Amino acid sequence: MNVIILSAILGVIMMYTGVMSKNKSTARYVATAGILALIGANWLEFAGVNFFNIDTRGMLEFTSFGLVFNLIILVCTLVYFLLSGKDLEEVGANAADYFALIFFILTGIAIVSAFKTMLMLFIGIEIISIPLYILAGSDKKNLRSNEAALKYFLMGSFSTGLMLMGIALLYGATGTFYTDGMYLGLGNITVMKMAGLVLLMISLGFKVSAVPFHFWTPDVYDGSPTVFTSFMATIVKAAFFIAFLLLFENAFGRMHSEWQFAMALITAATLIIGNITAVFQQSVKRMLAYSSIAQAGFMLLAIFALNNIGKQGLILYTAAYSLPTIGIFAVLMRMKDYTYEGFNGFAKHQPLLAALLAVFLFSLAGIPLTGGFFAKYYMLVAAMKNGAMFWLVIIGVCCAAISVYYYFRIIQAMYFREGADPGIQVSEGFKTVLVLTAVLVIILGVHPDWLLHLLDN
Amino acid sequence: MSKLIYLVPLFPLLGFLINGLGRKYLSKSLVSIIGSGTILASFIVSLMIFFEVKAPGFAPQVVTLFDFIDVAKLKISFAFQVDQLSALFLLIITGVGFLIHLYSSAYMHEETPPHFARYFAYLNLFVFSMLLLVLGANFVIMFMGWEGVGLCSYLLIGYWFKNDDYNKAAKKAFVMNRIGDLGFLLGIFWMISQFGSTDFSVVFAGADGTPVKILTGITLLLFVGAMGKSAQIPLYTWLPDAMAGPTPVSALIHAATMVTAGIYMIARSNIMYTLSPVTQAVVAITGLATALFAASIALKQNDIKKVLAYSTVSQLGYMFLGLGVGAYTGAVFHVMTHAFFKALLFLGAGSVIHAMHHEQDIRNMGGLKKHLPITHITFLLGCLAIAGIPPLSGFFSKDEILTAAFLKSPVFWVLGVLGALMTAFYMFRLYAMTFLGKFRGTHDQEHHLHESPAAMTIPLVVLALLSVFGGFIGVPEVLMKNGHQLENYLAPVFAQSTAKMHEEHHLSHVMEYMMMFGVAAIILVIIIIAWNKFSRYQKTTAEATGLGRVLENKWYVDEIYDTVISRPLLGFSSFLSKFDKIFIDGIVNGVGRLVQYSSRQLRWIQSGQVGSYILIMVTATILLFIIQFFWKS
Repeated sequence: MNVIILSAILGVIMMYTGVMSKNKSTARYVATAGILALIGANWLEFAGVNFFNIDTRGMLEFTSFGLVFNLIILVCTLVYFLLSGKDLEEVGANAADYFALIFFILTGIAIVSAFKTMLMLFIGIEIISIPLYILAGSDKKNLRSNEAALKYFLMGSFSTGLMLMGIALLYGATGTFYTDGMYLGLGNITVMKMAGLVLLMISLGFKVSAVPFHFWTPDVYDGSPTVFTSFMATIVKAAFFIAFLLLFENAFGRMHSEWQFAMALITAATLIIGNITAVFQQSVKRMLAYSSIAQAGFMLLAIFALNNIGKQGLILYTAAYSLPTIGIFAVLMRMKDYTYEGFNGFAKHQPLLAALLAVFLFSLAGIPLTGGFFAKYYMLVAAMKNGAMFWLVIIGVCCAAISVYYYFRIIQAMYFREGADPGIQVSEGFKTVLVLTAVLVIILGVHPDWLLHLLDN
Repeated sequence: MSKLIYLVPLFPLLGFLINGLGRKYLSKSLVSIIGSGTILASFIVSLMIFFEVKAPGFAPQVVTLFDFIDVAKLKISFAFQVDQLSALFLLIITGVGFLIHLYSSAYMHEETPPHFARYFAYLNLFVFSMLLLVLGANFVIMFMGWEGVGLCSYLLIGYWFKNDDYNKAAKKAFVMNRIGDLGFLLGIFWMISQFGSTDFSVVFAGADGTPVKILTGITLLLFVGAMGKSAQIPLYTWLPDAMAGPTPVSALIHAATMVTAGIYMIARSNIMYTLSPVTQAVVAITGLATALFAASIALKQNDIKKVLAYSTVSQLGYMFLGLGVGAYTGAVFHVMTHAFFKALLFLGAGSVIHAMHHEQDIRNMGGLKKHLPITHITFLLGCLAIAGIPPLSGFFSKDEILTAAFLKSPVFWVLGVLGALMTAFYMFRLYAMTFLGKFRGTHDQEHHLHESPAAMTIPLVVLALLSVFGGFIGVPEVLMKNGHQLENYLAPVFAQSTAKMHEEHHLSHVMEYMMMFGVAAIILVIIIIAWNKFSRYQKTTAEATGLGRVLENKWYVDEIYDTVISRPLLGFSSFLSKFDKIFIDGIVNGVGRLVQYSSRQLRWIQSGQVGSYILIMVTATILLFIIQFFWKS
């Protein structure tokens, strides 16, 4: 509850900051301080200190799972602000507004990590989505940015429609919005309930860019200003996943076997299409868009398996995927050339950045000693523990192998090709934050329990 | 003191690290001080341990450093065995090893500093590996050292890596050793499945009571390992080629380390061999055959180092004969005396080669007696020792093996003596052609003949003394009451085997005297013949014919291996390589191409048209409904 309210207030504060201060950087400092405050507030709530005692009539429930997830999200946002805050200011004249929108999104994320009714789920998802439409189109004079925003909005509306339809059907069938109340025993599965479930699966699948509802992803991610792509592809994506997982666990957990096969198909399609399509991309930015689809395939395994290891894995995945991706985007934003060739000879001119990028790419590819390894490992173990549909695990492993190809292309370009100096300037602070991020990624890869034991509280 | 056993291998390891890492910065004198000093330090510790072990009332100890492998029920610790056998080997390895290091510091003076340091680093690593091999308290640690010496021999044989022939010799040594190692490894695996452990204490205690068939299998596999490392038929061909390395390395490989590993391993696991008579017979026959075969080849070789190399193979054959007939003490005794005189001979040969400016062909030598007085006298003593002239060290150890062989079967004895006669002949052929007669080299070489520096002659003198007097620790019972100190010393190690070997019939004293001195007398005759014949040697251009030619070409064994094994193998491998390139690579690349192709095709779906996206999504939605309602798996 602390985060929901504080972050909404911070959003409002940010808007006023834009009006009050003419200095661009002020907004960034305020926002960074705000994130730190949110992390503190979240931590206090974790320790049992609530600032607000509001009776939500059971519509929201703050579990350690949700709070740990929030913690990761907030830390990722902090890293994002530190690394890319400056680039965010340069998108347009309204930096403070962008920060405000991001804080609103964080409010939405805090809601979807705690919802217990369909209403809260819907509100949370929309609170996240609507600011995203704006952010996608924030580069007003750029046609591609406008196109991205419009596409996202159109298709997002479509999926919102499906979601509302699904919720309505479920309400009609059970007479309640409460996910627990909807607990659908195996005995009374009606067509209405099943249809509602499928519609929710599709609309949330759309949000996490599961194949075949992923088409907006490459276009939107590619067209949006890179700084927002970074945010959308990592923090927001993870938030949709938490909503997906919590909904299917709380509302549909008991009829797991009923929808598992459909989920397996979606997961397999996401893994295969995401990875294979990423192979042929020539632009690193677009490759990262497909890579986000491919990684979503792995995260979907948690929902497919719906067990404790899967939940732990999703937590781990959120950190092990978001941090490296934010890091890579932060460097990418400074490049003039977004193609693989742009990275040629990068290691010679920027040895430190190249090494850090390599660590991040290792993590995305799931190489041991980085967080990505354990994240993938947990997902695959979760799917294996599930028992049924072992072929999904095999597909997962094969796809992990394919992913090495396109991630390592960057490493190859950086280390084994000759190229001109990209001439990028980075501050010492930027480097420090990037090093710390890489250290975090490696710690996750050596000792993932460090994060996971928080869940036991 | 035995708690400090880890210091013994630690010193050479440190030397290896310092010389290896600092090879670009250290001066040559510093390198040789570090290289030799670490071995000397090990020798001193070994000496202290030896005296502790030798003291009455010493019980064998296992010093565990840390747990190495701990999987399920299998527990292998990094532990060292301190007992009579390992203490004796420590002395041989570090003692002779130190002399060779010292000698090397002068012999290798032409090398540039980084290579000089590389040489000493390898040498130290070699000694370290050998110490590990001897000290291990289980077969796995032993195997680590076993592999280590294999690696180091490869590195040192190919030390002058710019010469491709040397590289080939190095590869040959490595491959031959690997074949043996495979046997050893399989033996260890079998051992683990049988005893659930590789600890000496567990395995040897469990050996009695294990079915003989299994024991035979394990011991035979271990013996395959020994054949590779100790150069027995059919895996001996690498050793003569190993001459490619610097001469002190040959001395190290042939005398103090490496080739004695197989002997050590069998002596260590003597109880297992005693309990499997079939293996024993195989070991004895292989050893005897190798002894004769290698000796016959040595008769006609003209390269000073080659003669010595085949002589090593032959002497190793004697040691295996000893092991095979149950004369474990005799075999270890011969390892020790052989270490003395073979190191002496090799270092002497090195001194000759040094003086002759890298000339190794004895046909071009002769008359070096007056130019190299110290080398000459020590070399002569070495030759007398290896030929088995009493009371030099070789006499006692060889006699012990031959006596034990006679007790097993007179045939063994007759053949063994024949080998000993050949040994005397080729050694004195070598000696006479090198040191006696007239100088047959070029004028230039003659002009530069000189005695080697002190760093080289001191080891020669020390080794010569050891070769002369080293045998007195094993004087047979007939000649002196309680003369065989070595037997008493080693008795605890072989106690289990001694208890098993019931048939203890002794020879009469007269018989024993006759055999001992009769053989010595014939050997003396042979020596005189060889001396006379080859001190008058003249260079001829006539090619050898008949058996001489076969011997000169080493029985054509290399050629036979080439035709029977290497070529078919190469043919098969080139077939497999084609199969790999066309079929396997085809699959691999095909998968890659398929992924790329589908990636290119899938791109078209991403058309950018929102309408078509939504169409696909609607289609997918309908499909999902169908699956969910009608086709649930």
